[in-house]
Amino acid sequence: MLMGLDCAPPAIIFDRMKGDLPNLEAMMGTGLYGPLRSTIPPITIPAWLVMMSGRSPGRLGLYGFRHRTKFSYDDMWIANSTRMHAPTVWDLLGDEGMRSVIIGVPPSYPPKEMNGVSVGCFITPTTEGEYTYPPEAKAEVERVSGGYITDIEFRTDDRDKLLRELYKMTDRRAKVVRHYAEKGDWDFMMFVEIGLDRINHAFWKFYDTQHHLYEPGNRYEDAIPDYYRHLDGIVGELLEILDDDTLLLATSDHGAKGMRGALCINQWLEEEGLLKFKSKPEGISKFEQCEVDWENTTAWGWGGYYARIFLNVEGREPKGIVPQSDYERVRDDLIARIEAIPDMDGRPLDNFVLKPEQVYKVTNGDYPDLMVFLDDLYWRAAGTVGHPDKYLRENDTGPDDAVHDWNGIIIYKDPKRPAGRPLTGAKLIDIAPTILKLMGASVPPDLDGSPIQPIIDLSNEVSE
Amino acid sequence: MENLVTLMGDEKKFTSVSIPVPLFKKVEERIRGTGFTSVSSYVTYVLREIIAEEEKQEDDDQQPFSKEDEERVKDRLRALGYID
Repeated sequence: MLMGLDCAPPAIIFDRMKGDLPNLEAMMGTGLYGPLRSTIPPITIPAWLVMMSGRSPGRLGLYGFRHRTKFSYDDMWIANSTRMHAPTVWDLLGDEGMRSVIIGVPPSYPPKEMNGVSVGCFITPTTEGEYTYPPEAKAEVERVSGGYITDIEFRTDDRDKLLRELYKMTDRRAKVVRHYAEKGDWDFMMFVEIGLDRINHAFWKFYDTQHHLYEPGNRYEDAIPDYYRHLDGIVGELLEILDDDTLLLATSDHGAKGMRGALCINQWLEEEGLLKFKSKPEGISKFEQCEVDWENTTAWGWGGYYARIFLNVEGREPKGIVPQSDYERVRDDLIARIEAIPDMDGRPLDNFVLKPEQVYKVTNGDYPDLMVFLDDLYWRAAGTVGHPDKYLRENDTGPDDAVHDWNGIIIYKDPKRPAGRPLTGAKLIDIAPTILKLMGASVPPDLDGSPIQPIIDLSNEVSE
Repeated sequence: MENLVTLMGDEKKFTSVSIPVPLFKKVEERIRGTGFTSVSSYVTYVLREIIAEEEKQEDDDQQPFSKEDEERVKDRLRALGYID
């Protein structure tokens, strides 16, 4: 049983809420636990799929939620299950006759055939359509949950409403998880609770005393810890259902930390003379609403928790101007310039820029020319233009007080082999081969991850 | 000659295919010490890979979202800070 706690950071689970999460702590106290190194980039998509396939984002050809279609300027595709060609843990277990139940593991829309049951993730456009495999499972999920919710509507300043919706979503998913756990007709089961990610992003500034917008004694100060406690209760109820033969894993796809600011990456590129517009709408606008002067543009970018930079390359982009022979020089020059960008007060930021081919052995699909991490992820990037200043104190697209962090969590427990010690050096990409190995299935040797040795060693100990 | 074998209920179906014994032995030799636990699982994995490669283009041309759905998903991702 893998319990996916999207965005759960080690600092909260292992330290700040110590003594407050009895069920997770019971797992830690008799299991192995520690930080889980996320992927590059540390983002929900591709992170869960990397975790469940053991393949790097480069191998998967998945670098975030959206991708350019080939080298087009404006065509893009949204990550979805039809683009996922690599076999996952449940595919490989299915090949060996084992049955899985997976609930809310991104990207699981549209529902794909598998040996078992799949319930769609938050990429599902609406639960009015089909979102389960097999399709008949939908009626069961709807009945058990009382109306399944894949995600909450985030664009709101009404935080009371947000909290109500969040609890409703989580509780309904928990009913479905318990239902399938009780049915017991599975060899592998997994769910991802996205609510943690949502509460971290929406309520971080009310909780993190180090956040620049934190106000002591604010009315939402306990929103995050209350929700974590609630979720821990759900974990407890689930553990009561499971027998002693069920191995338990709790993992997160990345961590979280307070956002310090955002940089409008396209405004910066414009200031540097690398991006030119023919016309822009008045005020703040999306990049795609602007008319770009492609004949005079060297580079443009996409924002998010990391920024992707694209070069306008001759013979590759429709109106490319960077000669192929100049490609590396232009990239290196951009890297140097971006790494030197300071904050709004002129203080240095811990920026770093990576070339995809340096990060991954293989770069499939529609990869960016550069991957930009601002201030070691404390800063995010905004792709929008027309802001009075290229520096933003807050996100440009809605309430978002937290950014992602490189480490998520892992807790492993084998009820028959008590341990109770920290685990170091675990990587998210190692989870799939670890599960396959624990379940006695083949572990394909061409995976980018490998089984986590302390977990395998523990599983080889004589059981109680 | 294919032979359908059903194990443990309807959902765990296996079929056997025939491969020459020397090839079987070669595979058996090859997977020794790797993570593959059987010739069958190796063959399944390799075939899966080949089929996935062939189906890739077809899959990538699919449009799983209607225009309306795509806008809905994009709006949500924007509000969540994943895209801008």
